[in-house]
Amino acid sequence: MVGVIFIPIGILSLLASNRVVEIVHRYDDVCIPAKYSTDKVRFIQSADLSKNCTQTITIPRHMKQPVYVYYELDNYYQNHRRYVKSRSDTQLQNGGVSNTQNCKPEQNLLGNASLPIIPCGLIAWSLFNDTYDFRDGTTKISVNKTGISWKSDREHKFGNVKPENFPNNLNESGVWIGGASLDVNKSLNEDEDLMVWMRTAALPNFRKLYGRIETDLQANTVLNVIIHNQYNTYSFDGKKRLVLSTTSWLGGKNDFLGIAYLAVGSLSIFLALVFLGAHLKNRRSLGDINYLSWNKKQQQNGNTRS
Amino acid sequence: MVDVLRDGHWRKLPWRRLVVGDIVKVHKDSFFPADLLFLASTNQDGVCYVETSNLDGETNLKIRKALERTWDYVDEERAKEFQGEIQCEQPNNSLYTFTGNLIIGKQTLPVTPNQLLLRGCSLRNTEFIVGVAVFTGHETKVMMNAMNVPSKRSTLERRLDMLILILFSILFIMCFIDSICSGIFINRKYWYLGLTSDVEDQFNPGNRFLVACLTFLTFVTLFSPIIPISLYVSIEMIKVFQVTQFINKDVKMYHKETNTPALARTSNLNEELGQVEYIFSDKTGTLTRNLMEFFKCSIGGVIYGKGVTEIEKAAARRNGTGIEEMESPAESHEKYFNFDDDRLMRGAWRNEPNPELCKEFFRCLAVCHTVLPEGDELPEKIVYQAASPDEAALVTAAKMFGFFFFRRTPTSIRVRESHVEKIGRMQDVEYEILNVLEFNSTRKRQSVICRYPNGRLVLYCKGADSVIYERLMERHNPFKDTNRDHLEYFGAAGLRTLCLAYRDLDINAYEMWNEKFVQAKSALRDREKKLDEVAELIEKDLILIGSTAIEDKLQEGVPVCIETLAKGGIKIWVLTGDKLETAINIAYACSLMNNGMKQFIINSDTKEIRDVEDRGDALETAQVIERYVAERLNESLRQAVESEQTQTGLELALVIDGRCLMYALDPELRGTLLKLSVMCKAVVCCRVSPLQKAQVTSMIKDGAKKITLSIGDGANDVSMIQAAHIGVGISGLEGMQAVMASDFAIAQFRFLTDLLLVHGRLSYLRISKVVAYFFYKNLMFTLTQFWFNLYTGFSGQRFYDDWFQSLYNVVFTALPVIIVGIFDKDVSITNSRKYPQLYKAGIENIFFRWRILIIWAISAVYQSVILFFFPIKAIEEGKNSSGRMLGLWDAGTMAFTCVVVTVNLRLFLACNFITRWHLISIFGSILAWFIFAFFYSGFRNPLDKQGNIYQVIFVIMGTWYFWYAIVLVPVASLALDFLHEGMRRWFAPYDYHIIQEEEKIKGVERDELLLVESPRQAPEQSLELTGLHGEMSKHTGYSFDSPCFDSFFASQEGVSMSQRSYDIARRASMRVSRRQSSDLGSDSPPPGHNSLI
Repeated sequence: MVGVIFIPIGILSLLASNRVVEIVHRYDDVCIPAKYSTDKVRFIQSADLSKNCTQTITIPRHMKQPVYVYYELDNYYQNHRRYVKSRSDTQLQNGGVSNTQNCKPEQNLLGNASLPIIPCGLIAWSLFNDTYDFRDGTTKISVNKTGISWKSDREHKFGNVKPENFPNNLNESGVWIGGASLDVNKSLNEDEDLMVWMRTAALPNFRKLYGRIETDLQANTVLNVIIHNQYNTYSFDGKKRLVLSTTSWLGGKNDFLGIAYLAVGSLSIFLALVFLGAHLKNRRSLGDINYLSWNKKQQQNGNTRS
Repeated sequence: MVDVLRDGHWRKLPWRRLVVGDIVKVHKDSFFPADLLFLASTNQDGVCYVETSNLDGETNLKIRKALERTWDYVDEERAKEFQGEIQCEQPNNSLYTFTGNLIIGKQTLPVTPNQLLLRGCSLRNTEFIVGVAVFTGHETKVMMNAMNVPSKRSTLERRLDMLILILFSILFIMCFIDSICSGIFINRKYWYLGLTSDVEDQFNPGNRFLVACLTFLTFVTLFSPIIPISLYVSIEMIKVFQVTQFINKDVKMYHKETNTPALARTSNLNEELGQVEYIFSDKTGTLTRNLMEFFKCSIGGVIYGKGVTEIEKAAARRNGTGIEEMESPAESHEKYFNFDDDRLMRGAWRNEPNPELCKEFFRCLAVCHTVLPEGDELPEKIVYQAASPDEAALVTAAKMFGFFFFRRTPTSIRVRESHVEKIGRMQDVEYEILNVLEFNSTRKRQSVICRYPNGRLVLYCKGADSVIYERLMERHNPFKDTNRDHLEYFGAAGLRTLCLAYRDLDINAYEMWNEKFVQAKSALRDREKKLDEVAELIEKDLILIGSTAIEDKLQEGVPVCIETLAKGGIKIWVLTGDKLETAINIAYACSLMNNGMKQFIINSDTKEIRDVEDRGDALETAQVIERYVAERLNESLRQAVESEQTQTGLELALVIDGRCLMYALDPELRGTLLKLSVMCKAVVCCRVSPLQKAQVTSMIKDGAKKITLSIGDGANDVSMIQAAHIGVGISGLEGMQAVMASDFAIAQFRFLTDLLLVHGRLSYLRISKVVAYFFYKNLMFTLTQFWFNLYTGFSGQRFYDDWFQSLYNVVFTALPVIIVGIFDKDVSITNSRKYPQLYKAGIENIFFRWRILIIWAISAVYQSVILFFFPIKAIEEGKNSSGRMLGLWDAGTMAFTCVVVTVNLRLFLACNFITRWHLISIFGSILAWFIFAFFYSGFRNPLDKQGNIYQVIFVIMGTWYFWYAIVLVPVASLALDFLHEGMRRWFAPYDYHIIQEEEKIKGVERDELLLVESPRQAPEQSLELTGLHGEMSKHTGYSFDSPCFDSFFASQEGVSMSQRSYDIARRASMRVSRRQSSDLGSDSPPPGHNSLI
């Protein structure tokens, strides 16, 4: 019975998943000048070098809008305990400096208690800062960056709090820059990139939504993507990928659920058949007390004796 | 409160205020508040009566006598003048000894136990007494005696400890692996972790060792749910429920006559009841009622008596013939007499083929005995004081047949004979008793020579068949062979038999013999021996009259119960202080032994041993016995092994007496004994002391590592009750010692069937299921966290929110398993009884073997993998239809939801039997989780600094993935268990599976379930019980020690008591002396009971 229900679900899910067009393009390895290929970390950390890098992506099939743009990081432990707790949800919602002790070492700017960092903590500090510009030939394709965060984040978890003393905004010596800077005039609940980033991923290999392209992309279109490659994943050999994907009614491309449903469903049908076959072969009528162990023993004894 | 003399007046003080040296007044029927030195009583002669049943279980009153010097300190005025000094021993635990001196003025008076009133006893038949507190509080003898009752834990629970230990090691292994890895993982290259400066020790890459150590601690807390702390609480709750609702309220174990329900005195051992392999049972009071009833007889080759013994009923049931229930007619039920046959009663015997022989039979019963009549000389009122209940039964039988023995003088016996001349006519006849040839264990017979009023001189003899048959006349015994057949028939039916014979004596021959007899009687040396020899001269050429069969009345339903238990694979041993013959007899009567068995009898009462004993060399005796025992044991073992190998199917039985047992329990022989006894189907130990009972019990308990249960009713069973895994006391009678020491108390032996086969088996089943389930659910839960941490850089990050984790065991998964633990039932109660073989599962422990646990563990690992990876996989690349991504807490919450659903649904697979309680609790738990989740993520918890779960549930419930996962994951993870269960059921079904199927097909009688299980019925029941329970039995007179207590004290010393012969006159005087000496405890040699077989 499980099989009967599960197999159609599995098939539907797979079909939905198959309709989804997904393009994954790794760029961390190619967006680096050849002379720095042995010392990628120095390249990424140098302030002077140009980090722009243009990649071309060919659209294999027609992509119906909205096309979602993701960045995918690898070997990036957003779920590390030190990292996960390094935030202050109180501050994110209400501002202020209470409940920020978990934010260490990004609690106060330069360790100075009079300069509390808002938003504090490693998560905010390490905000992803690569950017992507999409061009079809020379026409710019705009990416809509609103609505990429969860409504509950915008309305409940993040409040109307303006960034203060944010280290990435400063360019002083002694301040260690992590990731992206924040617009001091934009309150946190408007900064959707931050909110996306701060919903920490469960696994070290994760994707985050970057934005939406709200035009259909025709097959064989060649997209030029100007990548501003400045986020350091080189020091820990993390890969960076750009992902373009459409969605179905179910969501993105995800064969897993469909396959799992199919597998469980067919397994159960298979087992039912096996049971049936075995039962027919080796028939034991229900509730036959001759099969009780002690009765069996007696029969055996009887057999050996006779 | 007690009256204490303070400032010259009696003051009421609480017991605890009492101090040593206080003068105390104790009133009738109250307890002594401390160990008191008895000064004075209101009774004459300074005596008082004490009931000691709290101390030793004996219900007869004891006499204490104050020192003459102190008799008059009764009233207040005198008592306050009492001046004295008491010197005595240090507080100790010996109830029967006390030495000390009372110094009054210059006089030193020795004080003995006779003047000591022990705390715990109560005063009877005395208005009040005055005494001085000698020991108070914890120094009193009874408190010093209060042995720390060994705290018993069930084997399952001990195995549970092992399990916990294993879980601990799993925990440490997991923590160890993870913490090592965390030390390796931590690296400054993960710049976003901010590890360059100001890093706490736990993440400081500069000291990886410290990182590992500290992370280890983090992991211990993270993985700690693997230890099922709530398991102990849950098990305790389940057990208490089982005890209070099921065992204590089971109507099937409620004894109406004594108004005693079963009582579980501990809730620790319920499941142990389901694994008992050996039962050690006391005989008297447990298997038997210590009540002899004249049951059948054979006169002149004709069997009289219609009664059917329990064993015959059982045999008939086995053969399926089904005797029509012939309930013994209750109306004619006189104590000691359970006989009904119109051919003999009310003078009808006159029409029998052999009326003369019948007459002799009755006369023999009426004349040949040593019974003392007491009370009014009316058939209804008279009370026979007999040394053994057998004799009383025989004399009562004579009375019922119309030969009413009513008066005894030293030289004569008067019998009121009816129907002798003609029907309805009564006449008093006086028989002159010339000689009494007493019973002893070597002679095994008893004779009386009497002269009829008409001058006829007759010797009546009764005794064991073996000795009587040797002495029968060659001719003139036409019934010899039929009678032997009858004897065998009686014996097989578990009855105690005696042969009756007589001999007409020639007056001259008698005179000649009497001279010799008188000589022998006055001999100074070897008198007994000479008397025996003389007796031989006249006890010959006997004419057989017939035989009697007395039923040692078994407790109700004992043979059936024993047979049922035996089918369940339980071996029953009888440990008794009684004689060998009696013990064997009872073993037959209880269908423990039968004639088809090969018996090994190891008995110290053999000729060689007696000869050695006669020489009086204790050391030599010991050596001889030891050699003998060793020989017999080895020989028996050899034979046993042989018969095992040849597979003759012969069942073996071992009978061993206490004395031999003493040697057999020696370390060298112990192994042999153990091997032998384990091979035997029935083992009977007779003449054993309480200590030996305990030794035998622990031999099996420790030596064979089997679960043992001891059942007994008296103080002499306390040691074995405490030694066994489970002690069961027979309650409902007076004497609570055994019950106080026991773990379970039931009113009747037969209730063991229900206690073990129903309650024990179910408890075992339930508890093992609960434990296995807990093991599974905690292991599974923790493993998901373990898998998760492989992906977090071994940082010890929680997958689930703190609150989820802590409420997992307490709320979301707690109740259903308790419900299963309480209600689960594999087969109906009727079938539990119908198929006692199901019990074997408990003995073999097939529901809590390591194999079962490993299967659960495999299931846990498998499920944890599914439960971690499926939700994670489902969302890792997943975008909601608006493209947004889910995060760590979303995954955790989703996985947790799946865990809760799966774990709760898993119970459906585990339990055999689903009631609405199951449904309510299982779905209630799942619902509870959702309610909690809504609540928890709906509000921002001000105490929680990290609003991790804030709004999460709403986010994930808005995605398809969640619903997909919640359907898929439980199904996928339960598939393996389902598969396993299914395979099991189809291809290798447990016995209970088959019976379940049978039930499904044939239906179950619901009524019977309700009776036992319905909690609604129970309260009324308990009300009724409590209403009557409080009644105390009032004691007004003495009761005499029953023979089993005599042997108790004798055997306590490890001495095998020789049967003491005694004549009637001596008996009468003995009673007085016994009354006085009995309070001294064991030091007076009590008369042996000469029950005849």
